[in-house]
Parts: sequence; C-alpha cells; structure tokens
Amino acid sequence: MQRDKFFREIENVQHPNEKLIKTHCSYCGMQCGMNLRVNTATNKIIGVEPRYDWPVTVGKMCPKGVTAYQQTNHKDRILKPLIRDDASLKGTKEGFREASWEEAYDLIVKKFTELQKNYGKDSLSVFSGVSMTNEKCYLTGKFARVGLGTRYIDYNGRFCMSSAAGGFLRSFGVDRGSTLPWTDVHETDCLFIAGSNTAECHPTSMFRVWAVQERGGYLIVADPRETPVARRADVHLDLRPGTDLALANGILHLLIENGYADKEFVNKHTNGFEETKELVKDFTPEHTSFLTGVAEEKIIKAAEIYGKAPNAIVMFARGIEQQHKGVDNVSAYTNMALVTGKIGRPKAGVATFTGQGNGQGGREHGQKSDLLPGYRKITNPEHVKAVSKVWGINPEEMPQPGVSAYEMFELMEEKTIRGLYLLCSNPAVSAPNLNFVRNAMKNLDFMVCADFYLSESAEFADVILPSVTWSEDEGTVTNLEGRIIKINKAQEPIGESKPDWLMQVELAERLGRGKYFSHLKTAKDVAEEFRLATKGGNADYYGATWDKIDKQDGVFWPCKDEEDKGTPHMFLDKKFYHPDGKAKICALPYRPPAEEPCEEYPLRLTTGRVVYHYLSGNQTRRIQFLKDMCPDPYVEVHPVTAEKYNIKHEEVVRLFTRRGKSDYKVKITEAIREDTVFVPYHFGHEQSINLLTIAALDPMSRMPEFKACAAQIEKLEAGKVH
Amino acid sequence: MEKRRLYIELENCIGCRSCLAACTQCGGHEERNRNYVYDVNPLVNRQTMPLMCLHCVNPACARSCPAQAIQIHETGAVLSALVEKCIGCQNCTIACPYGIPKFDEEENLMYKCDLCIDRTKDGIPPMCASVCPSNTLQWLTEEEIDQKQKQFDLGNDKWVTSMPYLEGETNVKVNLPGILQGTTKLF
Ligand code: SF4
Ligand code: SF4
Ligand code: SF4
Repeated sequence: MQRDKFFREIENVQHPNEKLIKTHCSYCGMQCGMNLRVNTATNKIIGVEPRYDWPVTVGKMCPKGVTAYQQTNHKDRILKPLIRDDASLKGTKEGFREASWEEAYDLIVKKFTELQKNYGKDSLSVFSGVSMTNEKCYLTGKFARVGLGTRYIDYNGRFCMSSAAGGFLRSFGVDRGSTLPWTDVHETDCLFIAGSNTAECHPTSMFRVWAVQERGGYLIVADPRETPVARRADVHLDLRPGTDLALANGILHLLIENGYADKEFVNKHTNGFEETKELVKDFTPEHTSFLTGVAEEKIIKAAEIYGKAPNAIVMFARGIEQQHKGVDNVSAYTNMALVTGKIGRPKAGVATFTGQGNGQGGREHGQKSDLLPGYRKITNPEHVKAVSKVWGINPEEMPQPGVSAYEMFELMEEKTIRGLYLLCSNPAVSAPNLNFVRNAMKNLDFMVCADFYLSESAEFADVILPSVTWSEDEGTVTNLEGRIIKINKAQEPIGESKPDWLMQVELAERLGRGKYFSHLKTAKDVAEEFRLATKGGNADYYGATWDKIDKQDGVFWPCKDEEDKGTPHMFLDKKFYHPDGKAKICALPYRPPAEEPCEEYPLRLTTGRVVYHYLSGNQTRRIQFLKDMCPDPYVEVHPVTAEKYNIKHEEVVRLFTRRGKSDYKVKITEAIREDTVFVPYHFGHEQSINLLTIAALDPMSRMPEFKACAAQIEKLEAGKVH
Repeated sequence: MEKRRLYIELENCIGCRSCLAACTQCGGHEERNRNYVYDVNPLVNRQTMPLMCLHCVNPACARSCPAQAIQIHETGAVLSALVEKCIGCQNCTIACPYGIPKFDEEENLMYKCDLCIDRTKDGIPPMCASVCPSNTLQWLTEEEIDQKQKQFDLGNDKWVTSMPYLEGETNVKVNLPGILQGTTKLF
C-alpha cells in the first residue's frame, strides 16, 4: 500500500543464529519501521536492521531509532518491584529495597484502599503517557475509572498534542493529526511548516521535505531559530516566540486580499469566513511585522507562494501548540487551508507532527480527563452508555470528568489528590514550573510509579513497579499519519518486569474489581475489547484487526468494519465532522504570550528538542551513543546578545525567570533571534529548563506555554570556560 | 546484480549523525563508527556534512601502506586493514587526503569504512545510506548517478556536481552544497 518512488525491494541481511522481528521505533510519532535482531540461542535483542519494506520510512531511522534496541537489556533496567519505607528520602534515588510482586501489590492495595476510605474515591489519581500501545492506553483509562473508580486521570499528551487536538476538533470536528498519508508529502508543491524543528524531531520526514524542493516546490518555515530545516527554506519566517497567531492571521489576510480564497469551497464546505475576513483585516503586513518581528516582505512572499501553489500542505508542531493560545494557533494555520480550499484532496491538507510514538492513538481512547474510548466524551450520556456497556458497568458508576495534567499537580498541592499511580511519563522533567510540580509529588501521601528505568519522577515514589520496554510486549500504535500499526514482541520481559496492562489487571483483581479485568489474559485480549470499545466512535478502530494491519502495512482510522480498508485521506468527500458537515474557519483575535519580556526579564526563553534525545531523556540519556553526542543541556544565544552580556561561547551562565533558575553552558549561534534564547528540555534535576518555564495554560487544551516566557541571563563570577 | 554506488548529496545533511550510529550496527564493525560528520560553521548556522571514505579508485591509503594491509575488494570498496598484516605505522591516516582512517591505539590497528562490505557485496545498501533520514547518503545505480550528474551540472562554473573536482577518481560520488541552484521552480 502506498509504495512510492522511494520504495525499493531490498533483502535484509540475515546473520547466522539470528532472527529478525519486524516492528517500529519506540520513540517519536514517525514510528519508523525497523527490524530487531534477536539472537536465536539467547533469545535476546542484539541489534537493529533497517526495515526497507515499511512504506513510510523505507528503512530510514534517526540515531534514536538506530540505538533504540539498547534500551531492552540495559544495565539500568529495574528487574524487581522496589519499595521505599522511609518517606523522608522522597525526591532522591535512595532507600529503595527489592520486593516481591505480592508485597508490592499488597502495599499498594492497602494504601489505595485506606486513602479512598478516608478521603473518597477521587483522592487517587492516574498520570499516564502515550509512549505505549493503544491497548495499554485504553486499559489505563479503564483501570482509573473502573479499577480505582477515580475521576482523576490525565496524561502527558497535555504537554504535547492537546492543542493540536483542540484545534482540529474545532476546525474539522475530528482530530486526526494528518489529513493525508506521509507518502503525499514529497508530492506537494509547497510545504508551510510552522513551529516544527522537523530535521531534529521527525528526521525521517526530511527526505520527503527536501524532495519537494528538488522538484521545484517551495519550503516555508516559521521558527524563531534557523533550524536545520529552516536553513534551506525558500522563506524563513523568523518570528518572535509566541506570536504565531498574528503571523497566521497576517498571512490569511493576504491570501484573501490577493484573491487566493476559493469562494466555492468556502461557501459550500465552511462556516465563519466573513467574520474571519473582517478580523484578519487588521493584520496588514505592517502590523503583522510589528507583532511578530518578521520582515514585511517575507510575510508577503510566503503568502504569495502558499496562495499560488496548486497543492500545499500546512504542517506544524509543538512550536505553535505549546502556547497558552496553542489551540487558536492550530485553528489559525488551519484557516489557510480552509480558505484556499487546499484540503480534502491528495497532496493538499493539514498535518501536525505528533510528538510521542502513540501521541495520536493515546489521546483518543480515554486517558484524557474528559474522554472515553473512540474519542467519546465523558460528558455525553450516550457516549457513557456505549462504553459502560462494553465495560459491564452501570452508566451511573462512570466517574465525572477530571482535570488536566498540570491541574492535577495543583490538586495534589491542595491535598484533594493524595495518591498517584504514575506510568509511562516523567513529569518531574517534562512538566512546566518544576519547583511547584516536584514539591507536589513529594508531598503526596502515597505514590506508585511504573517504569522500566528509575526516572526522575520515580525518585518521588513509594513503590516502583518494573514495566517492560516496547520490545517485550505487543500491540498497536497510531503513527502521526493516523495509521494504526503493529508493535511486535521480540523478546521475553527481562527480570520480573511486566507489561503495564498486566499490572493493572492484577491490581484491579486485588482491589476487588476482578470481574471487569480478569478476562484480559493477553495483549490480544485487551486489543479485542479495545476495538469493541471504539466501535461507533469518531476514532473507530473496530475494523483495524491485527491481521489487516499486517496485510495492508497499517490501517488508517476511521476503519469501521472487516471490509473497510481504512481512510488514508480525510475529507475526500468534502464532508467535515461537524453536524452540518462543514468545517469552521475561525476568527481568532491575537493575544501576546502570557509573560512578555520586561526590564527585569528582557529575553524570550523558548525550549525544544535535540535530535539525540526523546522527551524527558529518561531513555535516551542512558544510551551511550546519544549521551556522547549530547551529554548536557546548553543555552543558545545570538552573538549580539552575548556581546551585550559580555559572555562567551562555552561559558557557564545562570539563566533565570520568575519561577526558577539553572546554569547552562552558552552556545553562541547566529541561527537564533537576538531577543530569544533556547534550551533543550531533555534533562533532569537541576539541569531541567522546566524549572524556569511558565504554567500558563491554554483555556481549551490546558497546554502549558513551554514555548515562550520572559527570562534573564546572569554572568557568573566564576564563569568558567570549559 | 546491478552495480550501485554510494552517492552523497552534501546539501541535504541535517547533522543527525544517524550514519555514525548505524555504522556501529554493521556486522563487521565491532560497534565502532568509522566516519565523520562535521559542523561546517557552528557559530553561524546549522550546516553539517558527512565526511565519508570515498573509496578512491587508486587509494592513497593503500598505496602508502608498507605491509599491504589495505585490500581493495572486487566491488571497488577499499577495505579496513587486515589485522594480521597491519603494523600500526599510521601511514594511511596521513596519506588519505580526507583524514578517513582511524587508529585504535590499544589494538595498534587502523580501522576504516569498508562500505559495509558484508552488505554491499550482495547489493544491500551500507548501513549509513540505509538509515540517512535526509537522503544525503544514497545507494544508487550508475544510471541514477548519471541522471543526478545531468540534473546538477550547470555548466556555468557555478558548478554543482563535484565529480571532476575531487583528488583522483573515487567510487563514491559526491555533490557538494548548492544543489538547489539549478532547480527550476514549479511556479
Ligand atoms: S525517533 Fe522518530 S524519527 Fe527517529 S527512528 Fe524513532 S520513530 Fe524514526
Ligand atoms: S545520517 Fe545523513 S543527514 Fe544524518 S548526519 Fe549522516 S549524512 Fe547527515
Ligand atoms: S578516502 Fe582515504 S581512506 Fe578512503 S580510499 Fe581514499 S585514501 Fe583510502
């Protein structure tokens, strides 16, 4: 399916005494295909071999993918449950002792039961993540609501994809991260990429991006930094962090003004054009330039190219989404496609680069505080009824909606939430305003953390449960295209580690909820129930059987039944998912970042990834090659700014905001705005840039504004040059 | 089996160093990488480029070796030093115009890119070109390389195709930065 010009029939190298297990990378939303090499004598994973026959990435991998296999048998793996009896050691690595699963389960059941007896069902919470299979994500939602009976469940997608989700739901009525398959990307005529450091965060998209230019197409990149993808852009819109909404409105204004609106499409298939047209009138190139800091001619040129392009794809990522107006940014850039009608056909559309491996699937099936499987709403009685039926509970038993990820920490601080079951996430690094968040975790009455390494967050736990890496279990993941793919098991779990779904089943049984969980004996059992639970929802996975996924090289949702081949392209019939079938063009007034620079904090701080690390770095910082390539964080500073502060390349300086401070080595580069500094966020303890970031939340998505806050640099007396 | 060559399009490089990570994955490479990726002008921009062995047709490294430790495979790949022959003199590291051969002090042994000979002898792409996310490193047929040469040879001194510009003939073909100069825009 979708084999394109990059696809080649290539045989894999097969070494003696080895077998190849085809699967996908454990990390980002690209979900590059790979083969794990397994020694047939020891049955251990020993390496990786490209998966040339995977149509999306044809064997390509970034360095994280190439070395991903090293996670499984890593010396840092937690092999047995760990218990810490001395709560005063919370926040450190100290004091853990090995325990049996029985002892660990008993302790958890005792503590959870006590807390719920004394403080009510909702005194417990579940904080989850989406770097795991759909089956695990699905069961985690059920575990929280049926196993524990709490309303408080949310997940790290609030720090990742929730703004994209909110924006797409508002614009299209459905949240599928890409309206088209990735095999369309290189065939379009113009890529408009906003707030995505594609070359570092989704590297295996790059051969398709460059191919657009090689064909004579255009590349437009909006980013405060001249990232490796911006370096080659035809137009680089070097905007101030946090001003995307103005830029998108400005470009939309020019598109309309210069006659690029597709009147017929707008009339037939959208609402909201007139009021949006009125609103964006104020965003003249001059005014837009004033707000964004981008030169007028660049704005004009970008609008001209996008307007003229026969086909174009608007793409974006966390740069625009991790703002307190992230949802508005998403809808505003999506407006460009809706107004010009460049959507609902091959080679034209809108896509977000999903951050986490299962950032798409994991947000659809009930880990979000207000969602149930199949993208159903917990506030919709019909939806609750449908899911309750699959779960075998009374609809009245379904807990109310909870609160978003960051807000859960606020509830911990005020003791509404007293217990936490954390899995697949490391908020002690990845949440904003970390001094507050770490303190909230420290003051919990009882905390369980399931992880395969002792993460910075696990340091706050009373009990650590050893989970498995992606290669020791099977299940499905939904990649950034919306394609459901299959992760295969390559080796047995090491030590006494267990997959998360199994722990949850066993815990539920011990909490007296076995009748809702005991029938789930394998990952496949969970998959069958999961498919059923999504049936009839917007994100319908019912027809995406493991068999079909294998035969078709993945299945794009929605896929309603056995015959349905899935939906690679969305909206080909020009039907959107709002009740009237129309998309919404949104009139979105501009508002600046929550915290603007001032005399005391004159710099704009923005954060992001490097190619060598994934999310909080809990995995990648342990892989030797990746660690060698990028051992420590640093602060990128423009030479003009460095001169002002009298600081030099490689000098250690203090960076601080109203919330926190940290010391970083300076990296001088002209590839950043003079008014902006950048620090990668993958690092723990005192190196975490999130000690400094602001928890200003988007009103709709509850996404924190990681991408823009006000900061200051202090030259250190002992500013040692390494 | 159709002959394929390593072809390098330097302008595409995004500096991810996946080629280096992948190099360690080739069966015969003892988990050590054998090539280089450079930041071209790190204080200014993010341009990077890989520096790979070009598998010279008349390789200076092999010529300089007093012990005939550096063999040339029938595919043209210039192999890593033979353990039993290499005397550790390091002539090759100096002779190579691009500084490719690396030296293992402990083993007193030179090691270099062998173009993943285990793979390329059977026509399977080397690890670096297999994984390179940006298509900086590609594994192409003669015909495809001819096409590239035509596409990028501007004949106006604003050269792009570098083939005549390197020292001596090489089995690996290289396009230096600037490939987009000759592109006609679609609109
Ligand atoms: S991290 Fe992402 S781009 Fe890199 S190999 Fe894994 S899935 Fe591919
Ligand atoms: S893998 Fe390709 S893009 Fe990455 S550093 Fe090597 S040559 Fe450059
Ligand atoms: S590039 Fe250097 S190491 Fe490679 S064959 Fe030529 S001389 Fe030898």
